[in-house]
Amino acid sequence: MKRCNLSAEVEIKRFIIANFARDVTPDELGSDLNLLDSGVVDSLGLLRLIAWVGDTYHIPVNDVNVSTDDFSSIDAIRSFIEESRSGVLQNDRSS
Amino acid sequence: MWNEDQRALRAAITELGDVLSKDHVAREGTGEFAFEAWDRIRDTGLLGLPFGTEWSGLGQDLLTTMYVLEGLGYSCRDSGLNFSTSTHIVSVGVPLQRFGSRTLKKRHLPKICDGSAIGAHAITEPDGGSDIMSMRTSAEPDGEKFVLHGSKTFITNAPIADLFVVYARTGKRGSPAAITAFLVERDTPGLSIGNPMSKMGLRTSPLSELFLDNCRVPRSNVIGSVGAGFLILDHVMKWEILCSFIINVGEMQHRLERCIDYARTRVQFGQTIGSYQSVSNKIVEMKIGVETSQKWLYDTAEKLQRHENVTNDIAISKLVTSENNVSSALTAVQIFGGYGYTTEYGLEKELRNSVAGTIYSGTSDIQRQRIASMIGL
Repeated sequence: MKRCNLSAEVEIKRFIIANFARDVTPDELGSDLNLLDSGVVDSLGLLRLIAWVGDTYHIPVNDVNVSTDDFSSIDAIRSFIEESRSGVLQNDRSS
Repeated sequence: MWNEDQRALRAAITELGDVLSKDHVAREGTGEFAFEAWDRIRDTGLLGLPFGTEWSGLGQDLLTTMYVLEGLGYSCRDSGLNFSTSTHIVSVGVPLQRFGSRTLKKRHLPKICDGSAIGAHAITEPDGGSDIMSMRTSAEPDGEKFVLHGSKTFITNAPIADLFVVYARTGKRGSPAAITAFLVERDTPGLSIGNPMSKMGLRTSPLSELFLDNCRVPRSNVIGSVGAGFLILDHVMKWEILCSFIINVGEMQHRLERCIDYARTRVQFGQTIGSYQSVSNKIVEMKIGVETSQKWLYDTAEKLQRHENVTNDIAISKLVTSENNVSSALTAVQIFGGYGYTTEYGLEKELRNSVAGTIYSGTSDIQRQRIASMIGL
């Protein structure tokens, strides 16, 4: 599980840097940085990020009530992926 | 493709075409909303199509809703009424159905379903149309209330609406997590509506500004959660595009049939104008426009129903349909010649109406920008 978490974190960082912050190194991009409030990821960027997470990790992001909190930081995205894959998210948020 | 029940739901609207279209040219001149026709639409149950039966809706899916709305566009010549109908369904009903609390649904969805309350949503601001994330209208928490302050513009249905979904800033300006959606009732102190705005087209669909001056709204009127407004709006916009532009497809189909009939009967220089390739080619382009738009919209809706990502598809669908609609409307005026230019034939009105589709729900430029962003540019 720890190896998967690191792998997801690395992949997420890689995607964010490649698409939104090309002048930043992985070490400089804090996992707890608020990506939305800091301006790293704008509104269109958020849609791209959600789409990428859905496609890469096979999560039905359009089915679950996705919250901006789920994508506010790398840590939050990683938790969202973990919870979605374990089925926790779907059960908790279905109305 | 459509079953008997779906066809019956659509027939309930298309049978009313003449009634709904009554005096549409005359009302265009005065910008008068067709309240009588609205009541007839209410009677069909169309307004509650996509909403749960527990809330007095008809519990139909997106595709069925679109199929019926396409029928509305085909049969009703009052595009302003058509647009107001679509806006009513998506502006308040759709976000409440998906994100609203049980209390909000119970209190307001039945009224949306039967049309006894008319809905609108307030998004655009005087300084922020395409750039909605720069919105200035703010919502400050104060105990169990939020205090809203600011102004919105270009709000369809505002002069006649009873319920508004107001999108306001609750966080850092520019952040996608900074917007919250609030349900605000018309008689809430601090909310005022501007005078109806005169515009190029869709004149029978009332439009005005909205002003919020220390408007206190219960915390329980937050739709979804604080900060969820951007993603709620993204969901609503998908429905808005699919529902309002499938109406345009119905309108385009009707226009195409008119042009075919005219081209087959109008004789110039001893032969029907349809026999000249320069005319028939134009009508063929109209036909291609209808089919292409219809396919994009329904295919996108099917993907959305399968919970697939449709960010690109929605942008393309909107771009293709809105621009086909303008092209189709201009062609129709050309084919009818001088008659097409008169108000009596209703075709110049359709051309003026069609331009709005390249602006609302995200301009054509914004749709192109969105596609560019999604493909990594």
